[in-house]
Amino acid sequence: MDGAPVDLLNFVMGVFGGLFLDPVVSMFNRPDKLIQLFTQGLSAGVMYSLIALGFVLIFKASGVFNFAQGIMVVFAGLTVVTLMEAGVPALLAIGGAIVAMIALAFAIERAVLRPLVNQDGIILFMATIGLAFFLEGLGQTIFGADPKPVPVDKLLIPDGKLRLWGDVFPKPVRIYELDLTAAIFGALMVAAILLFLNRTKMGRALRAVADDNQAALSVGISLQTIWVIVWSLAGFVAIFAGIMWGAQSQAGFSLAVLALKALPVLILGGFTSIPGAIAGGLIIGVGEKLGEFYWRGVLGDGVEQWFGYVIALFVLLFRPQGLFGEKIIERV
Amino acid sequence: MTEHRRIVGDTLLKVENISLGFGGVQALSGISFEIREHEILAIIGPNGAGKTSMLNVINGFYHPQEGAIAFKGEVRRTMRPHRAAKQGIARTFQNVALFKGMSTLDNIMSGRNLRMHRNILWQMLYYGPARNEEMEHRHRVEEIIDFLEIQAIRRTPVGRLPYGLQKRVELARALAMEPELLLLDEPMAGMNVEEKEDMCRFIIDVNEQFGTTIALIEHDMGVVMDISDRVVVLDYGRKLAEGTPDEVRANQDVIDAYLGVPHEEELV
Amino acid sequence: MSDTDTFPKLLLENASRIGNRPGCREKDLGIWQTWTWAQVADEVRALACGLAALGFGRGDKLIIIGDNRPRLYWSMTAAQAIGGVPVPVYQDSAAKEMGFVIDHAEARFALAEDQEQVDKLLEIKGTNQTLESIVYDDARGMRNYDQAFLHDFDKVQEMGRAFDRDNPGFYDDAVAAGKGSDISVMLYTSGTTGNPKGVVLTHTNVMRTAENNEKMEGLKESDEILAYLPMAWVGDHIFSFGQNYTAGFCVNCPESSATVMQDLRDIGPTYFFAPPRIFENILTTVMVRMEDAAPIKRRLFHYFMDVAQRAGTRILDGKPVSSMDRLLYALGNVLVYGPLKNTLGFSRIRLAYTAGEAIGPDIFDFFRALGINLKQLYGMTEASVFITVQPDGQIRPDTVGVPAPEVEVKIADNGEVLFRGPGSFQEYYKSAEATSETKDPEGWVHTGDAGVFTEDGHLKIIDRAKDVGRLNDGTLVAPKYLENKLKFFPNIKEAVAFGHQRDYVAAFINIDLVAMGNWAERHNVAYGGYQELAAYPDVQDIVREHVEQVNRDLASDPQLGGSQIRRFLVLPKELDADDGELTRTRKVRRSFVADRYAELIEALYSDRNTCHVETEVTFEDGRKGMLAADLRILDAKTFPVAEAMREAS
Repeated sequence: MDGAPVDLLNFVMGVFGGLFLDPVVSMFNRPDKLIQLFTQGLSAGVMYSLIALGFVLIFKASGVFNFAQGIMVVFAGLTVVTLMEAGVPALLAIGGAIVAMIALAFAIERAVLRPLVNQDGIILFMATIGLAFFLEGLGQTIFGADPKPVPVDKLLIPDGKLRLWGDVFPKPVRIYELDLTAAIFGALMVAAILLFLNRTKMGRALRAVADDNQAALSVGISLQTIWVIVWSLAGFVAIFAGIMWGAQSQAGFSLAVLALKALPVLILGGFTSIPGAIAGGLIIGVGEKLGEFYWRGVLGDGVEQWFGYVIALFVLLFRPQGLFGEKIIERV
Repeated sequence: MTEHRRIVGDTLLKVENISLGFGGVQALSGISFEIREHEILAIIGPNGAGKTSMLNVINGFYHPQEGAIAFKGEVRRTMRPHRAAKQGIARTFQNVALFKGMSTLDNIMSGRNLRMHRNILWQMLYYGPARNEEMEHRHRVEEIIDFLEIQAIRRTPVGRLPYGLQKRVELARALAMEPELLLLDEPMAGMNVEEKEDMCRFIIDVNEQFGTTIALIEHDMGVVMDISDRVVVLDYGRKLAEGTPDEVRANQDVIDAYLGVPHEEELV
Repeated sequence: MSDTDTFPKLLLENASRIGNRPGCREKDLGIWQTWTWAQVADEVRALACGLAALGFGRGDKLIIIGDNRPRLYWSMTAAQAIGGVPVPVYQDSAAKEMGFVIDHAEARFALAEDQEQVDKLLEIKGTNQTLESIVYDDARGMRNYDQAFLHDFDKVQEMGRAFDRDNPGFYDDAVAAGKGSDISVMLYTSGTTGNPKGVVLTHTNVMRTAENNEKMEGLKESDEILAYLPMAWVGDHIFSFGQNYTAGFCVNCPESSATVMQDLRDIGPTYFFAPPRIFENILTTVMVRMEDAAPIKRRLFHYFMDVAQRAGTRILDGKPVSSMDRLLYALGNVLVYGPLKNTLGFSRIRLAYTAGEAIGPDIFDFFRALGINLKQLYGMTEASVFITVQPDGQIRPDTVGVPAPEVEVKIADNGEVLFRGPGSFQEYYKSAEATSETKDPEGWVHTGDAGVFTEDGHLKIIDRAKDVGRLNDGTLVAPKYLENKLKFFPNIKEAVAFGHQRDYVAAFINIDLVAMGNWAERHNVAYGGYQELAAYPDVQDIVREHVEQVNRDLASDPQLGGSQIRRFLVLPKELDADDGELTRTRKVRRSFVADRYAELIEALYSDRNTCHVETEVTFEDGRKGMLAADLRILDAKTFPVAEAMREAS
């Protein structure tokens, strides 16, 4: 009789507490854990940023939403691992993968982009879906279907844990060296890409193509060359992502799904904004890790899978133009 | 009105019997004319006469089904636009095609792209020879900025500039390529009187000072008659006449087809 | 110091004393090029000898036309060095006005910046008998000019270097022959009526005034100034030429007149002059940009500007400020004032002047609140600029300060300001009559302005002396003073006040279409143009509030409180230079307006509440048309005058 309202109240209080109170309390109680999650989130975020950057570059320069980005990661990772299994030294193996990705970029330009020039975005998108299936089939033929462990030691990637600031916090902050390496190298790569875009004539040409195809052609910029370059760039990013993600678990075809993590990043940052891709990646990376840890209790397992989208939607509510989009001004 | 102090030379570009069609529409049929070194050639004609198509054929945007083009003696039918650019053909567009997100300076620098040679690695480090090269090109670009009097908008993203200035930046970008042949598609469209006068002065200055050959499409007959050495008249994809402004003005076909019948643009 | 009595001598002294310090800079092809004092001395020497080789001699006048360019400044010293007189001319003046000056000055030589100016000179040369040679600085577009009397600047300097080699000692002798009492410059001032008059100044005039001010303000070699105002204007001549030499600081020439704001940011001058109009434009730009900024940024800006208004000016004047405000001001400096000053190029300003007309108190306070030491001065060509200057710590929006060093100021019986000092001009060139009208035998110069001294010795300019009148009851009326007070309201663009030999003061008012248009947009008032908006009752009510506010302010001033505005009307058209109602410099031509709208004035002094008017207007495209309207005449409240109250109590 009067039990129902009380139950409802309890439920509401419970949800409220679970959503807002408990996480804050535990953040205060365990600042070491918070910092740890934060660093993990940042390092995951750098990876997301990189992948998103690959998407953005290709989208800006050729108007293609590249569905095959994920499989390129797998392809690149497996090339490195397979070469190393065959006894090739680490640096050479990476060099081999670079060559392979450039070759792939040339092949894609010749076989996919050039014949489809001036077609609608949706057609090009379909073409990249086809490309993804083709690469998956090709990959399984070459590398086999089984996932392979990444020989972390041979790649000289540290794989321990750091315990920091034990005297400041109740418990020391634990940081995985793998995360740290990913974050540092990821940041370096982002920096290198930005440098390339802003400081070199190729970068300027690339921005030019992204801005106006026709005008770019008229000043003597070759679209084909630019396409090869951006796809190669996306390929380099894929090598790095393949190795780092592979090192976390194993290099296998299931990694392709990880690339879809970049989707909420793109929604958040915009498909054409480079700063958007970087900031969006970091926000989603950190958000996911915090969400997973603090809200798992109320929201159930697997928060990490969809939390990024929630963040993206939440931001869009307040900034419909995305994080770095131009402010839309309507004049009457 | 203007005193041309330069010598019009040999044929620079020869258009021979060009025909171009899209599906059922014949945009150009059997057009032939030539552009001579150091001259200013105007291509005129009513809307839809095929003027812009003609420019697009010359710089490789369109590939004609018939005919050939000889540029500096080299005969070809089709060409890729970036190859045309490499050979020394620069152009501007009717509706301004600039890199709207980039600054005036970057837009003009992009016109220097073909002339930069240092490799990517040096460029990324922005060091040594690449840096010197960048400075050298920057100097050339600054001269063009000075020439076209656009110092005040150096750092402004061109998307924010008024139309008349965008047209000027586009001309600057084309000039940065140091072209032998400059194609201008309605360089004065949408400009007020003062901007038109400035643009006229710039075109003549470019022609006289750098000896650049110029082919331009223009609707303002006053401008055409003032600044061009020769005029080609197109109508419905065919060539009606070719000659000096005076000859063209006196040509009966032209009077009937174009000047005699009031067209929208003449009212301007 | 006594033997360095001319600018060419001073240049030689600077070249040996601070030869490696920058003397001037110019932005060319996107890069700031610097000339040291030693280099400047070389350039001037080559040019002077080149001019001599062209036949320029003692007593010759050199017309100088163009934007602020180092070479144009050098040409002044070069002309002086060989006994000539530079005559800078406003670069935007029409060929006819320029022609008058050249004729009047009997100039044989001219130095033009570029093709545009050369074209004007060629036009003039058709009718002018004296002009012989023209030197041009920028060869751009000059390739088709082959007249023998046209000389490229570089070529002239080349000739000069050869001449110098062939005639060793010529230059040094010529410089040594100069005296402080020689004419150093002739500046033509455009009077509101009649032809321009050539104000003759000597080296001593310019140098003493420059030095006195330099000492008063502590100007140093390390100061930087941006030269962007016309070279023909006396202010630029003192700041960018006179003090450039006496203080030895660096003058920076902008890339072009369109890039001044950008160049200002590049240079970050320490010493800056701008007329009130420019400060007003800057403030408007800032405000507009802030309205478009993100809400947080906007709120931050307004909050800290409030703090600045409260504390900034007091801090600048060395007055006590609460430590909380001091703290907030410091925070504001980091968050708002610093970045704002940086974008404006005002970060390093130690001393900024404004003059020429009254500056709105809001505008004045805004910049002072930011921590910019903006001060007013009162000056004129005939004084080599400085008559009065506001000393540090005694800054007020409504006065122009105390007499400048060595300058005496007094008020004549009719209210006119008179001065006497080291900068007092010699004469109007070839106009003995005009000279004696302006300068009396004891050396007192009539400024033509009416002013009053406040109790603590600050001068307050209220109007042109000839415009000051009296009501029928003898009350003093300064129309311009009232008009300026009205114009300080952003909603009021122009005002014309009447009252001489009337019973009370009345005024015409022009609303500001931009400001009022904004108001209309916010209040969903649709209007077809100026006329419609001006006739809108709510708009007129807003104007009435402004008028009454002015009356309230006036009431507190015992000297002028009697001249409150009793009736006014809002004109149906904007006063326009094309219709002859304004001068080209946008000053109201009072008598013309009074004639043209005589019936409106009569209506203002009748008991009617409406009046019909028909008048001719010139549209933007030059066409003429007729405008007819029925105007409302409005009454404004007046307030009891302070002094009267004091007397009563």
